[in-house]
Amino acid sequence: MRANGVALGWLLVMGLAQPLCAGAEVDDRRARIDYMLNCQGCHLPNGEGAGDVPRMTDFVGNFLKVAGGREFLVQVPGSANAPLEDQRLAELLNWMLDEISRNQLPADFRPYTAEEVAKYRTLPLRDVLKTRAQLVQKIALLPR
Amino acid sequence: MKYLDAWTETAARGIARRSSRRGWLKGLAAALASASAMPLLPVARAASTPDAGAAGIPESGDPESCDYWRYCAIDGFLCGCCGGSPASCPAGTEMSPITWIGTCHNPADGRNYVISYNDCCGRTPCGQCLCTRNEGDRPMYRPDKNNDLNWCLGTQSAVYHCSTAIVIGLGLE
Repeated sequence: MRANGVALGWLLVMGLAQPLCAGAEVDDRRARIDYMLNCQGCHLPNGEGAGDVPRMTDFVGNFLKVAGGREFLVQVPGSANAPLEDQRLAELLNWMLDEISRNQLPADFRPYTAEEVAKYRTLPLRDVLKTRAQLVQKIALLPR
Repeated sequence: MKYLDAWTETAARGIARRSSRRGWLKGLAAALASASAMPLLPVARAASTPDAGAAGIPESGDPESCDYWRYCAIDGFLCGCCGGSPASCPAGTEMSPITWIGTCHNPADGRNYVISYNDCCGRTPCGQCLCTRNEGDRPMYRPDKNNDLNWCLGTQSAVYHCSTAIVIGLGLE
């Protein structure tokens, strides 16, 4: 009974602390299902990618460390064209970054907001592969 | 007649020299052992193997019929009719890791499940149980939700053989 009480207390603390840490609300289950339906088909269950599909696992968070990268993760066609409202896309991105690339997130990481996603979505990329290559090059030059 | 007699004798003596009197016992034992091992071969068992994500899901309908609930957006040959199962590929084919994913409504429990239509690739089209249901299918300009594409992507061969329908999760209500 004591152990249950402690566990309950811990859950309450975590439950209260989580929204404060996250900054924006993330419904994990909904985000995961949105990922399954809109991303997983190509990026695979944990973002590992296959063939020409780039690996996101333990990498995608690096984009947030370079100029233009934060916009890119919304503008990349898989994100921008996903049949998700801005709020749901923001939620999906925030969930995904934490789930598969937590260790690459910059220290000052701020979760995406719906307004931010809406703004970037209106600015399509002219050449996705070129933009990505340039960003990856910038990431490679980051101090370790 | 004499030659025939001589030939028969030579043949019979040759057989007697090369074989043992109880050798047939060995043959019989081998036949019995291999007959009992036959049902254990993977070919026969593949069809009865449930997929991990489907454990505990109430089922109804025939997995070898196009009406089966998991096939709500399928366009192709059912792997269950081709030597595989609704969730596994026939021998000699490779499952595509890249798939199109949607949801299907399970009438047995009234819930929506997330289904991954992994194609099996590497052999010529199976030709059995062609199903075209296309519910939720979108035009080519939405390639991630279009089932007319060849989804044999990321496999050694791009030759399409058949389609599976694997439950990968519970959808939103």
